[in-house]
Amino acid sequence: MIMLTELQKVYQGESGPVKALDNVSLEIEQGEIFGIIGKSGAGKSTLIRCINLLERPTAGRVLVDGQDMITLSEGELREARKRMGMIFQHFNLLSARTVLENVAFPLELAGVSRSEREKKVEPLLELVGLTDKRDVYPAQLSGGQKQRVGIARALASEPKVLLCDEATSALDPQTTESILALLKDINNKLGLTIVLITHEMHVIKAICDKVAVIEGGQLVEIGKVFDVFTNPQSATAQDFIKAVVNNKVPDTLAKLLSEVPIVGGNLVMRLSFFGEATNEPFIAGLIRRFAVDVNIISGNIDHLQDIPYGTLLIELSGKDEDIQNALRYMQDLDLRTEVIGYVARHAHVAG
Amino acid sequence: MSQDMLMLLVEGLGETFYMVTVSSLVSALFGIPLGVVLVVTGKGHIKENLVFNQTLGAIVNAARSTPFIILMVAIIPFTRIIVGTSIGTNAAIVPLSIAAIPFLARVVESAIKEVDAGLIEAAQSMGASTGQIILKVLIPESMPSIVLGFTLTVISLIGYSAMAGAIGGGGLGDLAIRYGYQRFRADVMLATVVILIAMVQIVQSSGDYFAHRLNKR
Repeated sequence: MIMLTELQKVYQGESGPVKALDNVSLEIEQGEIFGIIGKSGAGKSTLIRCINLLERPTAGRVLVDGQDMITLSEGELREARKRMGMIFQHFNLLSARTVLENVAFPLELAGVSRSEREKKVEPLLELVGLTDKRDVYPAQLSGGQKQRVGIARALASEPKVLLCDEATSALDPQTTESILALLKDINNKLGLTIVLITHEMHVIKAICDKVAVIEGGQLVEIGKVFDVFTNPQSATAQDFIKAVVNNKVPDTLAKLLSEVPIVGGNLVMRLSFFGEATNEPFIAGLIRRFAVDVNIISGNIDHLQDIPYGTLLIELSGKDEDIQNALRYMQDLDLRTEVIGYVARHAHVAG
Repeated sequence: MSQDMLMLLVEGLGETFYMVTVSSLVSALFGIPLGVVLVVTGKGHIKENLVFNQTLGAIVNAARSTPFIILMVAIIPFTRIIVGTSIGTNAAIVPLSIAAIPFLARVVESAIKEVDAGLIEAAQSMGASTGQIILKVLIPESMPSIVLGFTLTVISLIGYSAMAGAIGGGGLGDLAIRYGYQRFRADVMLATVVILIAMVQIVQSSGDYFAHRLNKR
């Protein structure tokens, strides 16, 4: 649906040229919810604006629905933009227009008659749950309601693509949830391709199918959300994931850890498992098979894209030989195992 | 005060009202578009053209820094071309408009500059043309400030119109000078001042009222 090839964007800054985008290529498929995550200044705003050419890339190609955006004339570009909706962090609603008039705005721009506009806007207001607010001005709405108006407005011209520029960053957590649920719902109902940029990993985790991580204008990682979450390759992705998946070694334990085995010490390890593996009572199996004790230090089981996904931080105690056998057993299972280190027995009381 | 004096006051009021109304309308007709052009051709705006913008800005500044009384005399040849005479209320309308256009343009410019750049970006993302952005976003969004700026212009014009008496423009200012000052008629002087104050108050209050009505923020 959207194909970006070797995008470059260079700004002339006060102290010489600044590379906002450096050789970014990615492909977004029809009907996908594609997330782009990056810290502020990473270039994600520039990237999303290159899709509808609010920012013109210095080099590279932008294909949307088979159309090469960069070669379009001004008039053709305006027509192409009408097939893409966009929502914004600060909503950008027209303060002098009512909710109804705001949602009807893209239709008005396209020259649709007043009665026709009203006919098209009503179901959109219903979709976003604002039918009772149709004649209210934006100033009287809450942040979440304003974003709902923004979404309805973006959908008015029946676009194939919805671009979301930090759409939930100015909202509180509950409102964020409801807006994300609405986006997911729209994606399901209308088969709309959604591209969103954010600096919050939980947004990606909540609704995206695929994610691209950008840093310093470069694409550092791209893949299915599940893969990036369970096995992040780049340091940037690992950083973002830490914010939502808590499998950190507690500080009190980290201080006692040794990387080399301690004779008669306990083994501390992290297990990640997903899908089928979450259904197996493997800790019970472990204790039954080997003369080891298992102490769970921390753990969580969550769902990513409806696939159960868990991590456990455990401490094994027993004879050195039994511990090693248990470790080999686990490594043969369909689990991801990571040895964190060793602690002297009784040096630590896990809480 | 005699019947005659009263008649003169009513006549003067009518002339002032006529001069101010016509020159206000003319200044709105030219000043608002000029203000829009000053914004959209500015740096980083939708129709950036810095050479044009700075040239236009310099002309506007030149017109604004000329004292009204001098402007009025200096453009007499131009006034003759437009209205065929250089005396009377119609002749006064020309310099009044010329003085008010750049003033209103600057006021409109600063009002429109207040419009959040995000709104322009949103309109562009919906495929709005430059004309649509101006007419459907920039002007409606800054309407309350434009109305207040226009009010300010009308009030300035009431003040300037009193000076127009100097070139035989008529109106209340003319009356105050000829009778109140030159013939020592303190009552006439007082009456014209009171009428002018009342006019300014009415204009300001209506301006505030409309600006408030239009402001949905």
